[in-house]
Amino acid sequence: MSASIKVMERKGSSFLEKIFLLEIFKGMWVTLGHFWSNLCDNSRLYVRHYPEVKPEITPRWRGRHRLTTHDDGSVKCVACFMCQTNCPAKCIMIEAGERMDGKSEKVPVRFDIDLLECIYCGYCVEACPMDAIRMDTGIFSVTSYDRESVYMRIDTLLATEGAFDEKEYKKGGA
Amino acid sequence: MAEMVKLFVNGREVEVESGKNLIDAFKVIGIEIPHFCYHPALGADGNCRMCLVGIEDGRPPLVPACKTPVAPGLKVQLDTEKIKKIQHDIMEFELINHPIDCPVCDQAGECTLQDYYMSYDLQDSRMTEPVVVKGKRMDFGCGVVHDQERCVLCARCVRFTRLITKTGELGIVNRSDEARVETFPGRPLNNRYAVNVVDLCPVGAMTSRDFRFTQRAWFLTRDKGICHGCAKGCNIYIDHNREKYKDDVIYRFRPRLNEQVNGYFICDEGRFTYHAENEGRLMAARVDGKDCLGDYAAQSVRAVLGPKSLILVSPDSSLEQMAAIKALSEAVGARLSGYSEGYIKEGDGDNWLIQDDKSANRAGLSLLGIDAGKETFTRLLNSSEVLVSFDNDLFIHDTGSEFRQRLEAIKVIAVTSHDGILTKMASIAIPVASYSESSGSLVNIDGMLQHFDRAVQKNTPYFDMVELCGMLGSPVATASDAVNEIKKVIPSFANVEGGLKLTASEATNVPA
Repeated sequence: MSASIKVMERKGSSFLEKIFLLEIFKGMWVTLGHFWSNLCDNSRLYVRHYPEVKPEITPRWRGRHRLTTHDDGSVKCVACFMCQTNCPAKCIMIEAGERMDGKSEKVPVRFDIDLLECIYCGYCVEACPMDAIRMDTGIFSVTSYDRESVYMRIDTLLATEGAFDEKEYKKGGA
Repeated sequence: MAEMVKLFVNGREVEVESGKNLIDAFKVIGIEIPHFCYHPALGADGNCRMCLVGIEDGRPPLVPACKTPVAPGLKVQLDTEKIKKIQHDIMEFELINHPIDCPVCDQAGECTLQDYYMSYDLQDSRMTEPVVVKGKRMDFGCGVVHDQERCVLCARCVRFTRLITKTGELGIVNRSDEARVETFPGRPLNNRYAVNVVDLCPVGAMTSRDFRFTQRAWFLTRDKGICHGCAKGCNIYIDHNREKYKDDVIYRFRPRLNEQVNGYFICDEGRFTYHAENEGRLMAARVDGKDCLGDYAAQSVRAVLGPKSLILVSPDSSLEQMAAIKALSEAVGARLSGYSEGYIKEGDGDNWLIQDDKSANRAGLSLLGIDAGKETFTRLLNSSEVLVSFDNDLFIHDTGSEFRQRLEAIKVIAVTSHDGILTKMASIAIPVASYSESSGSLVNIDGMLQHFDRAVQKNTPYFDMVELCGMLGSPVATASDAVNEIKKVIPSFANVEGGLKLTASEATNVPA
């Protein structure tokens, strides 16, 4: 197999560069330039004031999960276990029960996601035949001081609203 | 071995067993003919038309494979365009009114319609008419839930109640797209084998109330086992699963084909004995009412075992366990009894699968020469100071109250898988593995020797009874010791290797 080889020019081999001193002052000059321009006008900062300023998130971003509902507020999920079957991290745990509201025969009585095990791959969203699970909450930071509060249960998953409107979300390819 | 017949499939010469129909004969050599209504136990009905095959130069040229016996020189065509079109069209007919609710259907994953759609159909529906709405979630009795919309009207369930149980509760009413399986008004399923229609149903029309929505079929591990519900020893599949952060639990028993014992079916009572494997178990060893480690409890038992103790063997124990317990009693000089009259429910059996004797291995007691008489047991009990019960439930089926007084006077030790009255009375209780968590051999009521392997692996396994006997001082301390001991005591088992095996034909002839 023949590979095309590109020879890179090595920098820093001249005498002035080798004594470093001049280069250090050149670097300090750049830093000083930034310092001065930021001091005069801080509207064009290169960094974001996180966490006071949140980053903008696209609708396709895979954030924390939520369970969607029908217009009347009943859960869309029919406990088909497709997400649990597809989950490579095996972080979804469902228990199914009888559903009596006529929408389907089956409903999840337990729907747990262990976020400490989740790898945010989005396979659950892709596998869902009901569009019942989405990752459009815009919550990208799942941090906590204890394990229990990042173990999502069905009521938390249902309570969270989506961060984007329907049209925007659908545009993202969903 | 049956006589062999040579015939041609798709121009290739094959050799199959004579006396079978094309579906059964080809299945043995690995050629699948799709079918819904045919079942080996129910015979050919020929109503689904899915198994139509071509016969080259035949009169007629198209025959249902289920009704066609193999014949020498027959030229069967399975892959011609005409046959493929027939299979394609039959699938389209079957799916016209199908609700396609696979996500909520318990059969998904083991459904003939799903499998055949992938193998023979793969087309979108061309129907624009709304589907016919029929009854869903209908309670047919005996724990059978029926969904008329999913039904393909193969009539396996109808034929089962007519031909096998001879109760005839089910029938197909109305015609064409209004046809549906129904019970007679006020006459639900009422026989002791009813849940077999759930296994027979090739689609999700018949589901079990007990198994409903508990697991998806693809999560389950299917292991072979022997039902311990009665002395018949029906062959079963033990379907179990370990859910995340939980223990290995059995979700259902299903019948496993063995023509020499149970055929294709099991009784409902035996099917639901799996509940007892999950519930009511003795979880931790107890000495004088306090939970302790099993090793400590075993040491305490070892300290009191002696000539004044009576060891009670269970008729549910395997031959290996019985041999180990017998060797233990001989080693410590204790008395031995296999008294277990409470296990017999007089008049409960029928002349098919259900037996009066609700213990799995009573024949093993007599084969190993363990006395099970009531007089002997009463005499020995009255002169003993310690009773050690090895999983023998003296109070089973509300019996054994006559021994209560004597048992309260002496020291009772229970080596048991399940918590019960005797375990509550016991000063020492040691939990052991139940039959689904251990392996062994059984001799059923017809003298059939059968072997079963461990199916369920608990997170923290209980003691194996044979190994526990070794800890208590039995020279038989491992399963292989026990097998050697059995072969010494029972000469007719000397040449047996690994229990009863299915014939080659039976092993491959499993229903679709």
